[in-house]
Amino acid sequence: MKIADNPRLDALCGEYLLGTLRGAARRRFERALREEPLVALRLDHWQRTFTPRYAKMIEAQPSGKVWKRLERELGLDRYRTPWHARTGFWRGWAIAATAALAVAIGLAVLQPGPEPSQPIATLAGKAESAQVTALLSRDGRTLELRAARPVVAGPTQSYELWLLPGGNAAPISIAVLGNLDARFALPPALVGRLAAGAKLAVSVEPAGGSPTGAPTGPVILVGDITA
Amino acid sequence: MRDDREISRLLLLTAARDPGSAEAFERLYSLCAPLLLGVAQRVVGRRELAEEVLHDGFAAIWRSVDKFDPLTAQPVAWMVAIVRNRAIDVRASHDVSRVDSYHEFDDDPDGTLDRLFDWTPGEDDAEDRRRAAGWVRGCLGKLKAPERQALVLAYEHGLSHGELAAHLAKPLGTVKTWVRRGMDNLRHCVEAHMGAAR
Repeated sequence: MKIADNPRLDALCGEYLLGTLRGAARRRFERALREEPLVALRLDHWQRTFTPRYAKMIEAQPSGKVWKRLERELGLDRYRTPWHARTGFWRGWAIAATAALAVAIGLAVLQPGPEPSQPIATLAGKAESAQVTALLSRDGRTLELRAARPVVAGPTQSYELWLLPGGNAAPISIAVLGNLDARFALPPALVGRLAAGAKLAVSVEPAGGSPTGAPTGPVILVGDITA
Repeated sequence: MRDDREISRLLLLTAARDPGSAEAFERLYSLCAPLLLGVAQRVVGRRELAEEVLHDGFAAIWRSVDKFDPLTAQPVAWMVAIVRNRAIDVRASHDVSRVDSYHEFDDDPDGTLDRLFDWTPGEDDAEDRRRAAGWVRGCLGKLKAPERQALVLAYEHGLSHGELAAHLAKPLGTVKTWVRRGMDNLRHCVEAHMGAAR
């Protein structure tokens, strides 16, 4: 008998949504969902009408490992825009940086208060979801990056954070990172140099960082230092 | 607030399997993973198990996203269903015995219901569907206490009939009847509102 003709169709929809329909009964129902449009239609009515929306309070932030594993196991790199492909080299830097700069927005706001760190730059890239805030400690010796979403390098890649001092000066490496949620001591030579007029940028590099001392991979994030 | 149209758009971009699908999927993840992790954690209890479920759930979303129909299905509910089903399976296979730890609801059923769920009208175009959440909340309140308790425990924590019976210390048959009658009464009550609204 088709499930669509079953007088208990509503009861089955309800228990399926509730989660109490188990085992073979659930598999039969799921097969009917695929094969009998009436069943799918009825379940849809149930879903729209009776499924409450969860409140925000139940949300929990997953660790970065989950996304990293998904990215690897699903082979997501195949479906990235060419912009993300690792084809950019130093010659491409100027083009990439110019394009990225065009969309960079300085959102950082100086806030007086007791916070040990204050935002000094917002780094943004082409993907609207990718945004990283750079914060500098009061004493100017500790830099912190906070990513709007987890950004974790693959096993063969590292991220490298650069100071672009401005003018025609070459980029200076600040740190090589596995993910963009990080807190670390600034190299002593750079203390005091993270100031307005300069920029911060992140490039994708081979694991362990740029082999040449200059960015060799695509620049994925860039932002003006505003303090 | 999650925007259903944006979520639908991202699901379609993901289904396209074009250059850019990975970015759409990543954005989808960043928007929905916290909610879905919360849903999983309610069911499986343990954090690391919940992250396992989140991983499996998103892998299933990536693989079956071509079956998502933006014209009929609500995008977030579609993803919640995938993750909840996965969580229920994991819960069953890991023998998560936490049956006596659900006193939050037992002690304060109304408060729990209102903390867990958002009962404000949805953004659906159809007026009766928009208002359905409020009616469901009202009708839940009218159910007999054991029926309401059975429904909410089963939905929130993914309890099976057997686990409900153990938690409520009642025979399996009694609990099955509560669940069945509870769903039936809820449906009739909400559909009466819908009929009256037309």
